[in-house]
Amino acid sequence: MSRPQSLSLRIKFLLILTLLPLIVLGAYLAIAIDVFQSDKLAYVFEETSSISKTLALQTTTNWTSVLASVRPVLQDWAEKGSFGSLSQLLLTAESPVRWIAACELAEDGQLIKKGFVARSGLVPVAASPPTLASESEAESIVKSPFVTEKAVANRRTAIVPFGDERVVLLEKLDMPAPAKPLVFLILMDGKDLADSFRAPGSASNYLIDEKGLIMMGPPEFERTYLTAQIPVSFLSATPVAAPPPTPGGQRRQSGTEEVNNEHNEALLISYAPVQYGNLFVVSTVPKKAALEAVQILLRKSLIFFALLICATLVISLIASKNLTSALTQLFQATQKVAQGKFDIRVNVDSSDEVGSLAQSFNKMAAEVSRLMMETAEKARMESELRTAQTVQETLFPPVSARIGDLSVFGYYEPASEIGGDWWHYNWVDGKVFLWIGDATGHGAPAALITSAAKSASTVIENLKVDPATALDLLNRSIFDVSQGKIMMTFFLGCYDPVTHRLIYSNASHESPYLIRRSDQPPRKKDLIPLNDVNNPRLGQNRQSRYKQTTINLQPGDRILFYTDGIPDIKNPANEPWGERNFIKAVLEANKDFPPIDEAVTRLTGSFEKHRQKAMLHDDITFFMIEVHGGAQG
Amino acid sequence: MGKFEITINKKGNDWAIKMGGTIDEDVDFGQYMLTGAQKIDLHLADIKSINSCGIREWIKWIGATAAAVTYHECPKIIVDQINMVQGFLPGRATVNSFFVPFYCEESSSEKSYLFRLGHEFNSNGDLKIPIVKDDQGHVMEMDVVEAKYFKFLKK
Repeated sequence: MSRPQSLSLRIKFLLILTLLPLIVLGAYLAIAIDVFQSDKLAYVFEETSSISKTLALQTTTNWTSVLASVRPVLQDWAEKGSFGSLSQLLLTAESPVRWIAACELAEDGQLIKKGFVARSGLVPVAASPPTLASESEAESIVKSPFVTEKAVANRRTAIVPFGDERVVLLEKLDMPAPAKPLVFLILMDGKDLADSFRAPGSASNYLIDEKGLIMMGPPEFERTYLTAQIPVSFLSATPVAAPPPTPGGQRRQSGTEEVNNEHNEALLISYAPVQYGNLFVVSTVPKKAALEAVQILLRKSLIFFALLICATLVISLIASKNLTSALTQLFQATQKVAQGKFDIRVNVDSSDEVGSLAQSFNKMAAEVSRLMMETAEKARMESELRTAQTVQETLFPPVSARIGDLSVFGYYEPASEIGGDWWHYNWVDGKVFLWIGDATGHGAPAALITSAAKSASTVIENLKVDPATALDLLNRSIFDVSQGKIMMTFFLGCYDPVTHRLIYSNASHESPYLIRRSDQPPRKKDLIPLNDVNNPRLGQNRQSRYKQTTINLQPGDRILFYTDGIPDIKNPANEPWGERNFIKAVLEANKDFPPIDEAVTRLTGSFEKHRQKAMLHDDITFFMIEVHGGAQG
Repeated sequence: MGKFEITINKKGNDWAIKMGGTIDEDVDFGQYMLTGAQKIDLHLADIKSINSCGIREWIKWIGATAAAVTYHECPKIIVDQINMVQGFLPGRATVNSFFVPFYCEESSSEKSYLFRLGHEFNSNGDLKIPIVKDDQGHVMEMDVVEAKYFKFLKK
């Protein structure tokens, strides 16, 4: 047995405990950041859109209020054709208007300056850059085709012609025919409005015309083109010369875009139209800055996740160590069991499944150890039984003998290694003693009694006593050994070859059958049981006294001695052979009075045919004698 | 082999005991003490088998009573033990009836015929063998060695 070659359980455990939260939290973070980013972008677009709309409204309001403040002067010029005292009264030092130029729009589209009025206290100069209002400034602007074009195209517009915060408002006023339309150019200070665009903040704000020229905005970008930095798509859709549907009406929708600048930096753009010409307020916010919070959230989340993974890793290491150390113990223990060391035990204190497994393993190892010991004990006992069998075989005589004028042939087969049957013959003082007995039960206890019987018989035969006395002595001997717990049926005969008389005594044993020789095959009624005397079994009562009787034998007579194991022989179907078949087999075996070895072989063949090698339930013992007459042993 | 069963019906000092099944070393006769009985009728028709250990227990049990014991309806296995084992039928006990197996070689049929005291045998051991036929009318022969099976009647 060797350790598995793939990833160890501990590594798998660690991978599962770390990768699973990593994947789940990573997916959660991706979804959360996407949602948060979308929400943040929507918020920033809303914010910048609000800024652009507010600045557009502020610009429109600022310029409209200036126009409203000078409208009486413009009305005065339209009615009188000159700037009267009213202009001097309104254009004070506090007024944002520096000068007003009144022009006629000729049919060829050219502006023809007709009048000019400047704010009180202003001294006309031609310095460059011009810092004070001068009529020459108005002259140059009037002659500018750019201004003419705007004046023709729009009823009201504004330009920033000087690159500073000053703004020229163009107000077109249609006159009753045949008078020509009037166009007033009003130069005003736009510092406050310009400061609104220049104010630093998260968003950069621009006031641009339809060509993307930045009229107001961060100082470094003023007088440059926003389109040079950013591809502003909404300007391309803006009709330059199209008049507004209504004065002051909405001409273009506000909107938002996401674009990349010339540095390939993503910008969030919101735009809103100013109600003067095709002017727009544009607010831009770098997307990176807008999503700074998302980046912060991402960084903090990653740090949190890293800490969480570290904590999970540490906990997993501790948990997996506890788990795998118990399993490693079990693995090592199984290896030792495989090597035959069954006394190994696993010391696992946990009460979980692994603990239960360890307990089961310990029980299994203990059970295997116990079974091994039992197997060893059984092997030892079997070895001892084989020894006992060898010893017991010495208790039996040779199966075939010629003793005196008797021939003897026997058969013995124990049901287990050692049995409780015993048979014997011997020659004592000119007589033949024939012994057969059957201890209650079979196996080792019965075998011990037969050993005792054999030992006692060896002593008794030297006493030269008759069968009844011999059984008396044998009974006491067996009773003293077994204390009445094991008994023995016994038949003892003593044959005198001179007188041909058989003296026998029976201790409740199966009566032997005498078969007298005749010319006819023996029949059942020809079987003579030797049952004229019967006595208690040996070992039943120490005080029992045994009787004997005598029968005369003739040459040719044969006697079958047997134990009750023969009729009880069973076949594989557990069917007993039975007394009827036994008697029939005995008669058949002796039908022609063959030599007794042949008769015994026939009888053996009969019950083996029924038995079919089935296991024995009781010992089988029988022997046959035949009286020949005349011969002496 | 059936489980051992015993039914004891007491009418004063007269007891009727009916037994059946197997008598072996597991049967504890000690719990069926016969003390107080003067006349015991043992009905043994349902005894199926008895082994050597059962015989030992039987002899201890039946040998301990002083009552007049009568065996009724003894099956062949009981008759075999009566004939073979001294003490199985105590000296003061008698057999009132016993079964004798009959067999017909021709039809392979078997029967057990009940021999009753005063009918098929008497107290002197004289036999009056009945003619037993099988269902087909064949005369059946006794399936025992007569000299051995009826030996107890002569005692």
